[in-house]
Amino acid sequence: MKKTKLGEFEELVLLTVIVLQEDAYGVMIKQELEKRLKQRLSVGSIQSALKRMEEKGFLTSQFGEATPKRGGKRKRIYSATGYAHKVLTEIKEVRAGLWASMPRLSNDLGTI
Amino acid sequence: MSRSDQSTPPKWPLKFLRFFVKEEYLEEIEGDLEEEFRDNLDRYSVRKASWLYTWEVLKLFRPRLIKNWNGRNRLNIYDMFKHTMLLAFRNFKRHKSSFLINLIGLSTGLACTILIYLWINDELKVDKFHAKDAQLFQVMQNLPLSDGIKTIEATPGLLAQTLAEEFPEVEEAVVAAHPMEKRGSNGIISVEDTYLKGNERYVSKNYFNAFSYHLVEGNKDQVLSDKYAVLLSDDLALKLFGSTENIIGKTIEWKRGRLSGVYTVSGVFEKPPSYSTTKFDLLFSYELFFGEYKRLHHWGNSDPATYVILKKGTDIAQFNEKIKDIRRSKYLSSGDGKYLGQIGTLFLQKYSERYLWNTYKDGKVAGGRVEYLRLFSIIAFFILLIACINFMNLSTAKASRRLKEIGVKKVIGASRTTLIRQYLGESISMAILSLSASLLLVSLLLPTFNEITGKQLSLHLDGQLILSIVTIGFFTGIVAGSYPALYLSGFKPATVLKGKINTSTGEVWARKGLVVFQFMVSIILIISVLVVYQQITFINAKNLGYNKDNIISFAKEGKLEEGLETFLSALKKMPGVVAASSFGHDLIGDHGGISGLEWEGKDSEERIRFGNLEVDFGLMEMFGFEMKAGRMFSREFGTEESTIIFNEAAIDAMGLEAPLGKTVKFWGKERQIIGIAKNFHFESLYEPVAPCFFQCYPNLDNILVKIKAGMEKESIERIRQFYQEYNQGLPFEYKFLDEDYQALYASERRVAVLSRYFAGMAILISCLGLFGLAAFTAERRLKEIGIRKILGSSVWGIIYLLSEDFTKMVIAAIAIALPLSYFLSKNWLNNFAYRIDLQWWFFAGAGLTALLIAWLTIGIQTFKVARVNPVQCLRDE
Repeated sequence: MKKTKLGEFEELVLLTVIVLQEDAYGVMIKQELEKRLKQRLSVGSIQSALKRMEEKGFLTSQFGEATPKRGGKRKRIYSATGYAHKVLTEIKEVRAGLWASMPRLSNDLGTI
Repeated sequence: MSRSDQSTPPKWPLKFLRFFVKEEYLEEIEGDLEEEFRDNLDRYSVRKASWLYTWEVLKLFRPRLIKNWNGRNRLNIYDMFKHTMLLAFRNFKRHKSSFLINLIGLSTGLACTILIYLWINDELKVDKFHAKDAQLFQVMQNLPLSDGIKTIEATPGLLAQTLAEEFPEVEEAVVAAHPMEKRGSNGIISVEDTYLKGNERYVSKNYFNAFSYHLVEGNKDQVLSDKYAVLLSDDLALKLFGSTENIIGKTIEWKRGRLSGVYTVSGVFEKPPSYSTTKFDLLFSYELFFGEYKRLHHWGNSDPATYVILKKGTDIAQFNEKIKDIRRSKYLSSGDGKYLGQIGTLFLQKYSERYLWNTYKDGKVAGGRVEYLRLFSIIAFFILLIACINFMNLSTAKASRRLKEIGVKKVIGASRTTLIRQYLGESISMAILSLSASLLLVSLLLPTFNEITGKQLSLHLDGQLILSIVTIGFFTGIVAGSYPALYLSGFKPATVLKGKINTSTGEVWARKGLVVFQFMVSIILIISVLVVYQQITFINAKNLGYNKDNIISFAKEGKLEEGLETFLSALKKMPGVVAASSFGHDLIGDHGGISGLEWEGKDSEERIRFGNLEVDFGLMEMFGFEMKAGRMFSREFGTEESTIIFNEAAIDAMGLEAPLGKTVKFWGKERQIIGIAKNFHFESLYEPVAPCFFQCYPNLDNILVKIKAGMEKESIERIRQFYQEYNQGLPFEYKFLDEDYQALYASERRVAVLSRYFAGMAILISCLGLFGLAAFTAERRLKEIGIRKILGSSVWGIIYLLSEDFTKMVIAAIAIALPLSYFLSKNWLNNFAYRIDLQWWFFAGAGLTALLIAWLTIGIQTFKVARVNPVQCLRDE
């Protein structure tokens, strides 16, 4: 398994997509991520990431509803594929394994 | 919030977004941005929200999200091209009449343009073939006369030498002289028994260093080193010796007044090409000429032409300053400076420019033949413009035919650019077809055109010509097709598929404007044709103050040089000959001139140039000059060598009262005034009558014979035989005086003929346009016509209704054209000292003609339509 399959930012976006379920479209993903990261993000970076992951097969998408707020244009709802779930779990396991193998540090207060 | 409901995202960033983002991402991204924008409006000001929006758009400009230009279009181009061509041909076939109208219009326009282009190209080549053309200049002289500065070619005989010696900028100074005696006739060259006529120049040794006349035999640096050398043209050499080789060193006999004698052939040159304004058959040495005519040694006289080759990089203005007063200073240092007031100043003009720029005003170059070039370029441009306007008008008018096609294409997804390309493609194919048709037309018209312009133009397809023609055709296609392409591709599918075309008032006015413009140009052309034609007829018919009919002239040559009197008296006895005499000049501008005339009461500062006409006994009677006072020359009064006759203008200029009997002095001699002739025109009608005088000399160079009307042929035959008894072997060459006169106005006549043709073409094209438009309008209003007929309108009523609109347009055109053409004609006529008055009927006539032609054109179309059976056109309701 290559470590470079998923970039850090892409992983965050992917996780957000799964979290948002049927609300996983551009603006929503951006706002959710901004809230959690406490950082401003640009539409461009989000869109870039989404399109790249779709190309790689981590996401699928389809058109959703149009609202007047969007000037009558439809949203694109993204959802993670089975392959995405698999890769995310792999990454999580690797991380968890590393955290578990870390030596006991004096300042540590019982974190796992 | 109301605010977020009303505002829309900022326009320009949005446009930019739509421009670069991939098509498939556009809806989503645009929607996202808009949603964000609305959210921001709730929290921030409009300005900040817009700014944030713009910022986001800029940050979206990433490689992954940008449209892919190359890949897509390249795949399609060949197919699109085929498709465009196919559609174009289908369109042509389906609507044959508009196709034909466009074809005829465009090809006529293109043919005119090509013809004029060929002509202009030819004119521009004249005299440009000399190798050192960029450094080759002619020295011109400005003579200060009382009535203004007169610019002439003649310069002092020593000028070339002086320039070469005293000015380091001068690489070569060349002098070339025309024969001094008997201008207008040829010398006779003979070898054993072959006699030929030829005209000659007397040139300095370095002639071939300046002018690129190719030497077939002989070395250019040596050919004129012998004073008695002569060079022959290859034509002449062939006729005299049968070959151009091995004739160097042979001798020929030359008969030309004082310079007659035996000369040795030192070289053979190629006859000057048709692009050369200077033409000659023989070249002699200037040394010879200079030696013989002592008057050339004085700075007070001017005769030959002087040319210089300047070093590269010489500042012409500076050089002009230096040589300006050369003649004056030399004149002063060489004599008493008595006539300094008449000595002229010098300046340079580029030799190759002299052909086109040959008019001078106040001592400066002021146009000339080049104005004709400009005139005809403008005409060609306007004719082509009219043809393109037609195309534009018809295409946009017939747009309704193609509504469905455009609508469907756009709905399927054609971009505006694709549609524009398609329509431009159609117009360019049309242009290419018209181009081929026009080339055919040109080759058909070329012989007639050559006749009129006196040139030998040919459709010789060299690289430059092909390139220019194709460029013209291409541009026509683009120009003509641009407006329709833009117009047609701009239709909105929704409106168009419903069947409506929104003809905004702007468009309607544009179309009307185009028609008005076309007719305006045509009317101006018609009026110009009329004016030019009238003026030329006027010039021809104008009473010149003398009678030139039935007079032939020929040169005094051969044995006639002695014993002219016997020859003349024998002529006079012939039946059919009314009078015979000799003349030293002619009445169309070749006359001597002096300004050193002194008379009683002359103001010493005064400088008037008098024309000098030398006549033999009986000549003035032959021409029928009228005398205001006094008498003509007559043998009863002896040799008349101390008498002189002035014309009225001369007497007025001198301010003499009771002039008869008074004496004047010039050339060191005194003469008594014995008569005053009524004013007559001895120069072109461009000039007012200048002062002139007559002197009587027997035995002058041009023999004139007046023949009885109706007996020309026999009399000329008789004269010819008689002449050949005197001069064996010499051809008898004569010409009618009025032919000469006609030749004076050759260019005007050409302009007249050409403008007739061009006016015709302009009208043809305008009518074609009107024809097409009328047909189309009538077709559109078919249903309206049907209903009107049912309600009782007559055929004429319908015609009147349909023509009303067009009539208004033509009248508008007339209203604009008339003042414009009045102004233009007045301007042109001002060039002539004697001109016609602009009659009101020129303008009324042109306007009426235009109107009638327009009505006829419209009438034919509307008549056809007006007769339609209402049942047929209302069937679909």
